Amino acid sequence: MSELGIASGKLSLMTHVVAGYPDPERSFELAVTMAESGSDMIEVQIPFSDPLADGPVIMKANQVALDAGMTPVKAFEMVRELRLSTGKPVFVMTYANIPYAIGLKRFFSMALEADVNGLIVPDLPFDSSLQEYFDLTAEHDMNNIYVVSPDMEPDRLRDAVVSSSGFVYTTLRVGITGADRGNISGKGLEFVRTVKRYTTLPVAAGFGISSPEQFISLEGIADIGVIGSKLIKIYDTGGTEEVGEFVKKCVSDHM
Amino acid sequence: MFKEDQYFGEFGGRYVPEALSSALDELDCAYRRLKDDKNFNNELECELNNYVGRPSPLYFADNLTRSSGGSKIYLKLESHNHTGAHKINNAVGQALVARELGKKVLIAETGAGQHGLATATVAARFGMGCKVFMGEVDMRRQYPNVYLMRLLGADVIPVPHGTRTLKDAINATLKYWIENIEDSHYLLGSALGPHPYPAMVRDFQSVIGREVRAQMTEREGRLPDTLVACVGGGSNALGLFHPFMDQDNIRMVGVEAGGRGDGPGEHATRIAVSQPKQGIVHGYLSYFLQDENGQLLPTHSVSAGLDYAGIGPEHAWLYKEGRTEYVSVRDDEAVKAYKILARSEGIIPALESSHAVAFALKEAPKHHDDHIMVVNISGRGDKDIFITAALTDKDNWKNFLKKEAVDE
Repeated sequence: MSELGIASGKLSLMTHVVAGYPDPERSFELAVTMAESGSDMIEVQIPFSDPLADGPVIMKANQVALDAGMTPVKAFEMVRELRLSTGKPVFVMTYANIPYAIGLKRFFSMALEADVNGLIVPDLPFDSSLQEYFDLTAEHDMNNIYVVSPDMEPDRLRDAVVSSSGFVYTTLRVGITGADRGNISGKGLEFVRTVKRYTTLPVAAGFGISSPEQFISLEGIADIGVIGSKLIKIYDTGGTEEVGEFVKKCVSDHM
Repeated sequence: MFKEDQYFGEFGGRYVPEALSSALDELDCAYRRLKDDKNFNNELECELNNYVGRPSPLYFADNLTRSSGGSKIYLKLESHNHTGAHKINNAVGQALVARELGKKVLIAETGAGQHGLATATVAARFGMGCKVFMGEVDMRRQYPNVYLMRLLGADVIPVPHGTRTLKDAINATLKYWIENIEDSHYLLGSALGPHPYPAMVRDFQSVIGREVRAQMTEREGRLPDTLVACVGGGSNALGLFHPFMDQDNIRMVGVEAGGRGDGPGEHATRIAVSQPKQGIVHGYLSYFLQDENGQLLPTHSVSAGLDYAGIGPEHAWLYKEGRTEYVSVRDDEAVKAYKILARSEGIIPALESSHAVAFALKEAPKHHDDHIMVVNISGRGDKDIFITAALTDKDNWKNFLKKEAVDE
């Protein structure tokens, strides 16, 4: 945990940003604002044309970012600058075809160059045939964070959790990303507790967190709360400043 | 730890978010059990015979054979099936599996609308709910099928994202499934997607090749020399090819959509290009049309059913192993073949199948009359009237549409 700078016993906030949304400069500014407003870690998504785990809000942001010229090379440059200027942990999230298409070795050298703290690839299951990817994470001591879902079979869940490094990312419901879907269910919270029993790694919870109150309600249950789609919605109506206010509210209310 | 039975060589697999893993395991497990179950197979056969209208004819195209002056050309007429295409074979099979799983709603993606139509049809037949996801662009160009799906009771949901075509419909259906896994079955329409779909869809379509084997043996006392089929995702081609895989001397040719040119966005040729590119999209590893950063490229084909950036993983493997070959046929060649088949045999093929016909017409004269070629007519051409009439009889067709619109 110390490696990621996550204080034990305290709920940390990870905020999500799509690299290049709405354009390269402003997505960088947005990420910096998140960090300065108190977000403990930043999740930077490298946009993909067919993002399978994302709902309409993030999907649209992916498309806008691609149309604005975002590429994996530029996204890693942004991550590097973020690491240098904020000092906060930055995790890169993307889909399997991005590392696969640009070349796994090249992808990893870009990740190392950018000083990324970990990788999150939700459509690359731990039992896939892409062994080279897993070998590279081990070789470079790169955190490989699995996203696990509440209706996974118990054996499979345990295998995925054990294969994870850095932290484990739990989704609070079976679904795709997207905010404003009502309260966090008891089933979702129970799932986080189940995953905690399988691992000593920090456990993150995301998918559907859309208010400071919902974030704070994870205190004592999860180690990290992840907010994504909601921040894009706030950005679309209120810009960077309101995103900063929202982040401040999340972190100040639970101190 | 990786599961070899989910792959064709390095291709295929199950590259999906974990939210889908249980549903795919459940489906895989049920299908493994049912595929060797006597009662299931009896019921499937009964539906295929009495509802779909199988076996479909293997027709000797004697006029076409004479005019091309080479190999004997046989046509496997999947166009004679209920709903007019091979898609119904798989739809019936998967609907029976879904019923065994206790699912109440069938969900499906569709491009041209043929698979959506087949799904809506079996949903009506088996008393299940139905939701069909269709890109907005496809809905506009295939409105007749939208109307028919709705007539059959299906909810046709426009997909406004991305390129608003088949690939986006697949994304939308997978996402809907992730969110509604308990009561819905994703009835995927081609031999692609995460395991077990590629193998299951191929199995349900293999009735095509099994029938050809029996029909050809009866007619000619031997097996054919060449098999030809168009390849979008690739289910009609695998259905024809697969039962002949034990015959090393049979040539198998998949015909891809060459569109209107070689540039990005002008065609849907995944393999028959100078440098096919592997990728991981829609849950499977195969060849995809993509840019250097791994973003899917837009595609074009005059035939909506071939207008897709990926190809089923078994095709990718068969190609890499050198077992099957792939060629590309342009829009104008396909439309020409469409007209030739209509005039010479009184058979109007789907634009998809017309690609296979176009290749056969080029290939047949290279052989003697002791060579036997089978071309899969995967569907019939009625559905394409808004495209073909606009291409081949533009003025009359436009006048008709204008008049119809004014009469309203």
